Amino acid sequence: MDLKKIIQKDNCLILKESKKTEVLIEMIKAIMQTGRAEDEENLKKEIFYREQLMSTGIGMGIGVPHIRFKGVTEPVAAVGIYPKGIDDYDSIDDEEVTIVIMILVGENQHRQHIRLLSQIMEKLKDKKLRERLLQSQSSTEIYDIITGENHE
Amino acid sequence: MNNLTNILSQISLEHISMIFLLGLVLFLGTAGGQFFQRIKIPQVVGYIAIGIILGQSGFRLITLESLKSLQGFSSFALALIGFMIGGELKINTLKRFGKQFTWILIMETMLTFFVVTILITVGGYFVFGDIRLALSLGLLLGAISSATAPAATTDVLWENKTRGPLTTTILGLVAMDDGVALLLFALATSLTGSLMGTDGSSLIMGILELLLEVGGSIAMGSLFGWGLSKLIRGYVPDDKILVFSLGIILLIIGLTQMLGLDTILCAMAMGFFMVNFSPKKSKNLFSLVEKFTPPVYVLFFVLVGAKLNIRNISALVALLAAIFLVGRTGGKFLGAFLGSVISKAPKTVRKYLPFCLLSQAGVAVGLSVVAGQTLPDPLGGIIVMVITTTTFVVQIIGPPSVKFAVDRAGESGLNVTEDDLLAKSSAADLMTGSTLIEENQTVEKVLEIFSNEDNLIYPVIGQDREIKGIISIENLKEMFLASELSPYLLAHDIMMPLHSQCPSDTPALEAFALMKKNNSDYLVLTDKKGLCLGILEETRARKRLSLQIMDLKNKANLLAN
Repeated sequence: MDLKKIIQKDNCLILKESKKTEVLIEMIKAIMQTGRAEDEENLKKEIFYREQLMSTGIGMGIGVPHIRFKGVTEPVAAVGIYPKGIDDYDSIDDEEVTIVIMILVGENQHRQHIRLLSQIMEKLKDKKLRERLLQSQSSTEIYDIITGENHE
Repeated sequence: MNNLTNILSQISLEHISMIFLLGLVLFLGTAGGQFFQRIKIPQVVGYIAIGIILGQSGFRLITLESLKSLQGFSSFALALIGFMIGGELKINTLKRFGKQFTWILIMETMLTFFVVTILITVGGYFVFGDIRLALSLGLLLGAISSATAPAATTDVLWENKTRGPLTTTILGLVAMDDGVALLLFALATSLTGSLMGTDGSSLIMGILELLLEVGGSIAMGSLFGWGLSKLIRGYVPDDKILVFSLGIILLIIGLTQMLGLDTILCAMAMGFFMVNFSPKKSKNLFSLVEKFTPPVYVLFFVLVGAKLNIRNISALVALLAAIFLVGRTGGKFLGAFLGSVISKAPKTVRKYLPFCLLSQAGVAVGLSVVAGQTLPDPLGGIIVMVITTTTFVVQIIGPPSVKFAVDRAGESGLNVTEDDLLAKSSAADLMTGSTLIEENQTVEKVLEIFSNEDNLIYPVIGQDREIKGIISIENLKEMFLASELSPYLLAHDIMMPLHSQCPSDTPALEAFALMKKNNSDYLVLTDKKGLCLGILEETRARKRLSLQIMDLKNKANLLAN
């Protein structure tokens, strides 16, 4: 899948908030501002419900909140970095989360959901890429790194 | 009561049109059948009871004239019954049970014949003081007593969906003992002819005529069977098959009546030919014809009841009828028992067959009428009255005793179809899986469940067992390409929205209809509070149903050993 279509520069954030809940809301707001999702209230509910079932902190400092949601028609992703680390993300490896990628797909986009998740996880396995992401100083920089080819 | 009868009989003469009468007969007959069925008595008794109430013994709403003009329906019903019985007689079964059939047939007809003949002769001698008259009466009633009515008996078998050695034996016997009865009757009329000095045809001629009749009927039936199997070769739509079959059955009735052949035997030969020489095609044909039969049967049995007149039973007739009943029942019991012992029939046949041979109807009444016409009074009149009276009694006690026998023999309900089972089941009976997936279980765990269990679809539930969605093998396909995700993904992430659910006490037929309507191949079953119980997968449920039917078939086969 073409990440350039899925991620917009405006959805690449250097996060202001430091706690999980606030971070998630900050990212949701960013997505809402680009007009690529509807129904903010339910979006929040679903995101938090999913986190309540099991945290999306998958280790290596990465958090991937993801849901299938009525309010989007095409897959959307937002990227946020917080180099100091979010300490209440409740990751499976108990490490602080520094990179959060929020993934939203349409209600029936089962296949896109799995593929997009798989593609992004593949990308973030690259330790150098993660380091470069964390050193980014702007949305554009984050966007270029995450949507660019892997440099290995 | 008398006034009412008078008023009603006046109405009936002029004002009840035939169509109205038909409607009344069908409606009340079915209602009666249903009522009796509810109180666990075979429905056919209900039809006959309604006939008795409406007919000659009761309100006389069905007059003798209407009975005469409705005669055609009785022939139609008998031909249909003959055809359906023929369809049950598969050569393989006959071969397997051949020895048994022959022995039991000979024993039950002959013993009944002898016992009734002797008893009636003795009883008649005391009454008339004339040994020749008594012996004639004995011989004729003895011959008539050997017949067993196929209609009422097989109706009980079909109603109770029986299968097994007892059922097969009964079907074979009731189909064939009429033939023996005809033979004995021919013998008896010739003998009485010479006994009474009337102009009876000679014995040899009588037997020759009979052989011609039987042979001709079988030949004609087979010919029509061959024709019908050619007609439905290739693709023929169901409605045409039904009309072809009914048309040919009606043709058979007409032709046999014109040629003086036996309608039932001819129709039976056709059914026999079809089921054995064109088995695949005829399976559908028989089920089509069977669906057509109920109204004809109802009409037939109501008319049988309507014909019975218990008003003019004299003391003499009552006495002879009592002797006849005792003799016939005793003869049938003894004959059936001895026959099955000699032929080493299965235990259930030995024990319960005697209860199944009591019914008498069409053939017996028919023969008594023939006797009544050809023999001088008082012999003729007495025979008709005795047979009518005893028919009345055995038609009431015959069917329940058949039911008793097949129930006891364990053969009821073994001949069911998928539809029968469906009609009796609820969705819960067909539930194919009770494993539930919780929405916060990881996909890893979900994969484990899929590999350990047989279902292809699982309900996904929340904390309180409320339904959240379903996961099918389809959903997992995606996961094969992204297996590294399976520890991080939850059932919640891959589940699909629910298409159909229903309470577990929904009747199975409704449940299947719901799946069809929702275009889905599963149903999630819920309890009264709407919480999830499990899943019903259509393919697996159907497979289970056919396994159940196989089981029942095996059970029936086991009974035969």
